[in-house]
Amino acid sequence: MSPELIVTITTIIVTGLGIVLGTALPALAEGKAAQKALEGMARQPEAAGDLRTTLLISMALLETTAIYVLLIMLILIFANPLLDRFFPAL
Amino acid sequence: MDFVTPQVVFTIWGMPITNTVTSTWIIMVIMIFLAWLLGRKKPIALEMIVDFITDLLGSTMGVEATPYVPFIGTFFLFIAGANVLGLIPGVENPTKDLNTTAALAITVFFSVYYFGIRSQGLVGYLKSLAKPIIILLPFELIGHFTRALSLTLRLFGNVISIELIVAIIFSLLPYFLPSVMALYGAATGLIQAYIFTILAATYIGAGVVTTEELVKRKLAAA
Repeated sequence: MSPELIVTITTIIVTGLGIVLGTALPALAEGKAAQKALEGMARQPEAAGDLRTTLLISMALLETTAIYVLLIMLILIFANPLLDRFFPAL
Repeated sequence: MDFVTPQVVFTIWGMPITNTVTSTWIIMVIMIFLAWLLGRKKPIALEMIVDFITDLLGSTMGVEATPYVPFIGTFFLFIAGANVLGLIPGVENPTKDLNTTAALAITVFFSVYYFGIRSQGLVGYLKSLAKPIIILLPFELIGHFTRALSLTLRLFGNVISIELIVAIIFSLLPYFLPSVMALYGAATGLIQAYIFTILAATYIGAGVVTTEELVKRKLAAA
């Protein structure tokens, strides 16, 4: 196996694993946030407006981590810096 | 990737103009025309939009929101308009270009200092930066930079992911389904515009204080 092939295969495997972890964990966290916010809304319907705004902000902040993972994986797949660095002839 | 990366259309004195920039111009023209038309024909619709943004900012920032409505409201209208008008064929969504979102986030980054200094004065704002103890000042400044970075990447990442999904579905099944996904992308873009607005309001609101608070501080100092 040529070294370029090893780097490519490693990149593909790491990308798959990384996107799984990087989307599953924020999804779990967002589910938890939504669950707690809904419980709060059911208990105190008069606070629903404030809770909804806070929920949206925290959802956005939580989702940012997933977006970071997605961007890094996109860079790894479409513009792999390791291949450019170690095998400039490619 | 050619679907989603911005393409250079023409150059002015060696400066490349991409299709996202030209789309920004088209969207600016459409939105200015719509604002003019609504102002002539249905001013009450414009009032509803301004009221909505004022209520949103007021509940988020905790201070009188009127001075900030023109600035932050423009972000909301531009991002929402860009995401909706990006559905028009030939008009690219400008927020799928990292440069556009970076420009928006850098504007927010500097406006935090501008509004903070305008509200509290230079000395008061610097004091409020180093609030509990002076050791925390570097962390506060790092926080400001990461806020700008995360504002950039959040908007860009959300829009580019939907654009990629549309491109992939288009290559698999070019009929009907990509348009549904594009519509879903526009809805996501509206939510992102809302979130960008709320976050910008939170960041700016953290730097400004109410007039009562200022008076209280003056009294405590005297």
